[in-house]
Amino acid sequence: MRYIWLILTITAVVWYTFVTAYVAFKGVTDIKEMLKKLGEKD
Amino acid sequence: MTNFNWLLDGSIVGLYLLVTMAAGLYVRKYVGKVDDFLVAGREMNVYLGIASLAATEFGIVTCMYTAEAGYKYGFAGATPGIAMALSMLVIGYTGFCIKPLRDSGVITIPQLIEKQFGPRVRWAAGVVIVLGGLLNMGVFLRIGGQFLVTIVGLKVTSFNLFGYQVGYLEAMMTVLLVGVATYTILGGMLSVLITDFLQFVVMSVGLIAVTLLVLVYVGWDKIVTTVEANYGAGGFNPFVHPDLGWPYVLFQVMLNFAAVLTWQTTIARVLAAKDSLTGQKIYVRTSFFFVCRFLIPGIWGIAALATLGQVTNSLDAMPTFLATFVPVGLMGLCIAAMLAADMSTDSSYMLTWGSVIYNDIMGPFRKEAWSEKKGILINRMIVALIGVFLLFYGLWYPLEGDVWTYLGITGTIYLASISVLLISSCYWKGANSWGAFGSIFFAAAIPVMFLVLEKTPGTKDLAKQIGPYYSGIAAYVFSALAMFTFSLLKPRKGEIA
Repeated sequence: MRYIWLILTITAVVWYTFVTAYVAFKGVTDIKEMLKKLGEKD
Repeated sequence: MTNFNWLLDGSIVGLYLLVTMAAGLYVRKYVGKVDDFLVAGREMNVYLGIASLAATEFGIVTCMYTAEAGYKYGFAGATPGIAMALSMLVIGYTGFCIKPLRDSGVITIPQLIEKQFGPRVRWAAGVVIVLGGLLNMGVFLRIGGQFLVTIVGLKVTSFNLFGYQVGYLEAMMTVLLVGVATYTILGGMLSVLITDFLQFVVMSVGLIAVTLLVLVYVGWDKIVTTVEANYGAGGFNPFVHPDLGWPYVLFQVMLNFAAVLTWQTTIARVLAAKDSLTGQKIYVRTSFFFVCRFLIPGIWGIAALATLGQVTNSLDAMPTFLATFVPVGLMGLCIAAMLAADMSTDSSYMLTWGSVIYNDIMGPFRKEAWSEKKGILINRMIVALIGVFLLFYGLWYPLEGDVWTYLGITGTIYLASISVLLISSCYWKGANSWGAFGSIFFAAAIPVMFLVLEKTPGTKDLAKQIGPYYSGIAAYVFSALAMFTFSLLKPRKGEIA
């Protein structure tokens, strides 16, 4: 069982690091688009 | 003892707070309608959704109870995270319930429930959702304050303010709440989404940095040997842990499946998504975060056990450990990360429970439609009142047992019935209002009864014998059985009653 937790821990740290960087980059575009559309609606 | 440096770490925290507040307040100008305030005009896309969902579902309280679970149960304490990740992956992939829910264009779940069960069931569903949600959230502030006081290392418990002795814990709770409430009241879901994004980034950087530090300086071998020495095989496998076992695992599966389907703060991201496919993508791509959500602070908790040994209050173990383990500079980032986590959770929770009060509890009493301006004003007042309630409830309620169990039990008050009602309204035409009321009654009565038994001196031992897991399982089972049985008992049109 200890190896399952080791694999899960490594996967969690690697996955989380990648997703943080990716979402930080792509999220800015989402915010810009959302505010642009809401501005157009007003 | 703490490594917190008021000048360096304090400046990092101050800068973070300034940027977040400014961003939260800036977007309030885009709020023109109730829909903008409650669901951000349904313009949210996938990556903002992932950031918002992850930030909302990770607060200081999450970090504290998941670390406590790691401290008390070893790796087995991360079981709920796996159950939640699998539930979210399956529901997101298949669109089970969330697709019809988003396609219907509703703001809250009770609004969809009304279509099959009528306005009275919608109102009752709104009441149990708010009851369960607010009882659940009631302990967030105290635990957040407890974490901050411990990690900053305040030695005295109170200070003098204009002749009154004010506790540091209470002062921390109030400051936290006022900051969050300000931008939530003004900008609604829009402010929540923008600040959630910033908070996700800060929170994640802090969490990853501290975890790497723990893995390097405490070491994997020490973490594993600590779990082995304290809990044996049970520390790795929940089924053989003496305090957990199959009732714990089964309760976690039921609880987390229901939470992914119906927890209003989670489902609000699906409802704010620009379409159902976007909502499904947000679920699928965020699902693994819920493993991280339990495992990462769980490892901090185990590291606390390895470093401090057994302490009196298991909830304080992780912040006590971090106070001396995290170096100056990184400590500021760590506290900013925790503040980010807490602020995003509190703001979202206040807004979403407020949306149910406005939409489903007050809705039936509105004789004529309110103007958008009046609707936004009422929503802002509701959020402010929820803030006041949280402050007083957090100060008053003495928390016993572990935090995750308390949250599971109070959450079950509504999760059990609302998940049954949602599934029935999406997939069972034969379900009706009798079944719905029966389901709501049993799902609320069993956990409330357990909490009362637990708090009453004469029945405390009985509550201990029953345990939170059996009472939780009973709530889900009886809620589903009640829906089925009472729906069949109600006479159909044309039948003699």
